[in-house]
Amino acid sequence: MLELCDISKNFGDIKAVESVSLKVKEGEMLGLVGPNGSGKSTLLKIMLGISRPSSGRILLNNGELTEKGWRDFRKQIGYMPERVSFYDNLTGRETIELFARVKGGSAANAIELLKKVGLENAVDRRVGGFSKGMRQRLNLAQSLSNDPDFLVLDEPTSGLDPVGTKEFYKILSDVRKIKNLTVVLSSHILAEIEDKIDRVAVMKAGRLNALGSLEDLYSGLSLPMRLHILVKDRDAGLEELLRREGAVDINYKDGHLIASIPREDKLRILSVIMERKESVDDISLREPNLEEVFFGIH
Amino acid sequence: MVFTDAMKAIARKELSDKLKSRWVLVIAAGFAVFTLVISYFGGATSGVAGFRSMDATIASLTSLVTYFIPILALTLGGGIIADERDKGTLEIYLAAPVSVAELISGKFIGLAIALTLSTLVGLGVSGIVLLAEIGMNALSSYLIFMLNSVILGIIFLSISFVVSILFTERARVIAFTVFLWLFFAILYDLGLIGLLIITKGAVGEEIFSGLLMLNPVDVYRILNFLSIGELKVFLGLAAVELPAYMKMPVLWAISLLWVVLPLIMSYHFFKRRYLA
Repeated sequence: MLELCDISKNFGDIKAVESVSLKVKEGEMLGLVGPNGSGKSTLLKIMLGISRPSSGRILLNNGELTEKGWRDFRKQIGYMPERVSFYDNLTGRETIELFARVKGGSAANAIELLKKVGLENAVDRRVGGFSKGMRQRLNLAQSLSNDPDFLVLDEPTSGLDPVGTKEFYKILSDVRKIKNLTVVLSSHILAEIEDKIDRVAVMKAGRLNALGSLEDLYSGLSLPMRLHILVKDRDAGLEELLRREGAVDINYKDGHLIASIPREDKLRILSVIMERKESVDDISLREPNLEEVFFGIH
Repeated sequence: MVFTDAMKAIARKELSDKLKSRWVLVIAAGFAVFTLVISYFGGATSGVAGFRSMDATIASLTSLVTYFIPILALTLGGGIIADERDKGTLEIYLAAPVSVAELISGKFIGLAIALTLSTLVGLGVSGIVLLAEIGMNALSSYLIFMLNSVILGIIFLSISFVVSILFTERARVIAFTVFLWLFFAILYDLGLIGLLIITKGAVGEEIFSGLLMLNPVDVYRILNFLSIGELKVFLGLAAVELPAYMKMPVLWAISLLWVVLPLIMSYHFFKRRYLA
């Protein structure tokens, strides 16, 4: 278990990370979310030992990491930086062999790894001819080249199209089925990772604003639920009724009346709507997604 | 520090890049052609073309090498770290169980082997022609000249690593590389001559020889002229003599310092810039 205790990182007068404490549990997938410049990448680099914190402690299995401790820990780490173009003159296999050797892994597994990430047809092709999606897969393969226990992915789908993004998470999911990897994943595309992570750490302006499972965040913050009503015609009376019952952010668009309602009042509001069922075709009630949690927190 | 597997992998990658891209072959061919042309036409100004004595040839080749090798070595290593940073691969190395010393040493060794190979092959090919024409009794002088040329290349490769870490933009790397080359190959000696003129030769032997040691190009020149016994030719302008202890082993030791010190600086600058 990796534990960050009251970590701060300053660059001159700029506080990139401020008093962040969090534990990364073994085998979990932790999502680190926040807008650009919120300190996610700096925090990841601190976790990897690339950047030294200005203050605070980093513990691994309850022991403080020493110089040698970091070296040993790095043998277990797989890191996928956000933007890597690799060496155009090397083939896919040569690239993985190089990083496997550098990280103390087995170069003999290069082809198997490339197959695992769907690059079996590009084993002996030069990376210079790879598409963005192929380079991201290669990046994932290099991060796995030392058979790590702890995987750190910095904005792994940045620049990928929706199909590429979906394929990437499918590969990651397949890899995790084979090995119980601990994964820390940063993203600013919140909706993209909410169904993949066990816990989320929300960062803003260098501070950790929230940490927990999505369920914990939903219940702890008691966020409003989103009410979608398909109406026959726009009904000012219904809108007024909803407002009176505590609904907020009421909008009408394309035959839908959308509003936020307090979680604890949902049954009462639904029964009130039923009294005007002649105006209503359909009703649905949705949990806020991670993005709404994220912005709700902010 | 032992030669670890990670260092081997990094060094092999750098060497393999230079071999595959035919860099080594092109530079070696360039060396061979230039040295043969200089050797043959080196005495043309006195109206004689053709191979002369080995001492005269080495004196001519020394001038060629002092311009050619420093710029070659500086451009070879000048972008080595900046390139890794631009490609995003530097972060992979930093997160790997590899120390900064291993990373820098691995890259340095790989490039040093490539540079050494091209220098030895280039000068070796022309050396075979020269020895066939001039005679084998000049072999030892030529071998020492080759060794000194390799050392000069390694010194400037070491200096190039400092440049690569201090400057992250390619344009600045190129500008500073050209400045360093101009400084060591031309401006420094002009400055020394200027100093002698201004002080009317009052600069003592100790100070003057000490100032020469601060320029690896001058160390290289002295080594070559010492080996052929023509140091007076080189120092004639200065009208001073080197102290007696300034023998070849001492100059080689100073050359070694010129290799090691920039590498130590690279190590510290790297840690400050990339691991702060």
